[in-house]
Amino acid sequence: MKEISKKVCLLGDFAVGKTSLVRRFVLNIFEDRYLSTIGVKVSRKTVVTPGPGDLIELTLMLWDLAGSEEFDQVRASYLRGASGAVLVCDLTRPETLTSLLTYADDLLRVSPQATRLIVAANKLDLTDQRRISQDELERVATRLNAPLYLTSARTGDEVETLFRHFGQMLVGEGG
Amino acid sequence: MVDASLSQTILADRHLAYALLDARLRVVAVQGPADLLPPDSLGRSLFDLAPELIGLEPDIEAVLAGQRPRFTLDWVNRETPSGETIYVHLILLPFHLNGAANGQPNGLIHLVEDVTASGLLQQALTQHRNELRLLRDRLAQQNSQLAAANAELRQLDELKSRFVSIAAHELRSPLTAITGYLELLTDEQSDPLTAEQREYLHIIERGITRLLTIINNLLDLTRIEAGRIELALRPYNLAEMVAWVVEELRPTLVERGLKLTIQAPPDLPPTLCDVARAPQILSNLLSNAIKYSYPGGEIEIRLSHRAQEGFVQVAVADQGVGIPLADQPNLFTRFYRASTASHTGATGAGLGLYISRLLVELHGGQLWLDSEVGRGSTFYVTFHSS
Repeated sequence: MKEISKKVCLLGDFAVGKTSLVRRFVLNIFEDRYLSTIGVKVSRKTVVTPGPGDLIELTLMLWDLAGSEEFDQVRASYLRGASGAVLVCDLTRPETLTSLLTYADDLLRVSPQATRLIVAANKLDLTDQRRISQDELERVATRLNAPLYLTSARTGDEVETLFRHFGQMLVGEGG
Repeated sequence: MVDASLSQTILADRHLAYALLDARLRVVAVQGPADLLPPDSLGRSLFDLAPELIGLEPDIEAVLAGQRPRFTLDWVNRETPSGETIYVHLILLPFHLNGAANGQPNGLIHLVEDVTASGLLQQALTQHRNELRLLRDRLAQQNSQLAAANAELRQLDELKSRFVSIAAHELRSPLTAITGYLELLTDEQSDPLTAEQREYLHIIERGITRLLTIINNLLDLTRIEAGRIELALRPYNLAEMVAWVVEELRPTLVERGLKLTIQAPPDLPPTLCDVARAPQILSNLLSNAIKYSYPGGEIEIRLSHRAQEGFVQVAVADQGVGIPLADQPNLFTRFYRASTASHTGATGAGLGLYISRLLVELHGGQLWLDSEVGRGSTFYVTFHSS
């Protein structure tokens, strides 16, 4: 089986749940306490995914980047060499959705090869606090030319599916 | 040996470790704290030691080729075996292995600098800042929700005021007709009345007067609250105004057997007041004094000039039921009636004092009281002297 590894960045405003999504996917755990990420935390997880003609053992290098604006300057240095990004917004904070367009622009400026994008609209479990409609999500996802998933790092809803779909996109299938 | 021990001490003190790498990016030497670079790293790949550098091969090759003086990756989070987060800066520098000092570098120095102390501070600061931002956003959201709710309430309040105003107008029209026919009957021009019939008509007349007072108060209330009342403030002789009001209410004073005295200094300056609304205030205070006095009691109206403050003060004092201390703060709010209000059998909607306060405020004056249960009340009102 062919083995490849890809660098994937998780991008989005602070407190949208980037770290929680990675922890749910890699370790299958969730912690309620919000802990701001500074800098970058790299985690990896290997998945087997169908590639062109054969199965591929894909190691996802997940770059969980600080979302706070204080890290805007250094963020560019973390984006180099990325193959794509999971763009994360928080369904309870509308402004986090519009930010995704800026993050995608920044990524493509630094890493023009990072054309694979996927949108994770997170915190689906906070039903009564949701403030972003499906239409708004789809509009942004269409502009980014990215598949859209409504996820919950807390319950695990669609997290595995999202990363597996993204894995297929990275190896050239299911994009 | 001494040198190695010395550099080990310095590196440990500085929280710094380094590995020397050959051109294939394999570790050929390592030194420094073991938690930053394990001593068994020899022969291993740079990417084993620092998987964070995977994907950055072009940058690393540029350093190795001497095209870049250094490459750094700052604030890399790592987790210790005990689950704690440490922060490191990863640095790559070109290096000439085996003493080759000239030409293209044939190796790299990989520095791992432990910056956990400042990282934890930075993290705590970022955490607080982000939590404050979230709180600020939540507050902004709640504020806009409150503003929307407030606007809705204001709209409902306006609707209510309009309804009260229309209802009051509609109630007043038939009352005018009733009053007219009542006057025709009491004039006894068509047929003389029996004493019993006269008494019944008198009861109807009192009821109509009460209804009209309530309706007029409701209309005033909606007008004042909607800001539709404008006062024409002109200099008037307040003592004369008090005398008119007393004359208007004299029948009730007589009916209740009350004694009234007025004290007014002869040099009282004119006051700035509205010729329709100032008597309304005074009439309301005097009506209350009458209503809540015991039969045969005394009422005193004292006018004085508070020259220094530029006010003329009117005090209306009775010896009636008095108002409990607990009721006093609410007395000038709408629809509030003191717990002692029914002691003399007096009725009311709890609007008179509220309207009086609003009218006094429109005059730029003040309204307050002194009262003791069982000993009576004194209401004070001030108007600007001219």
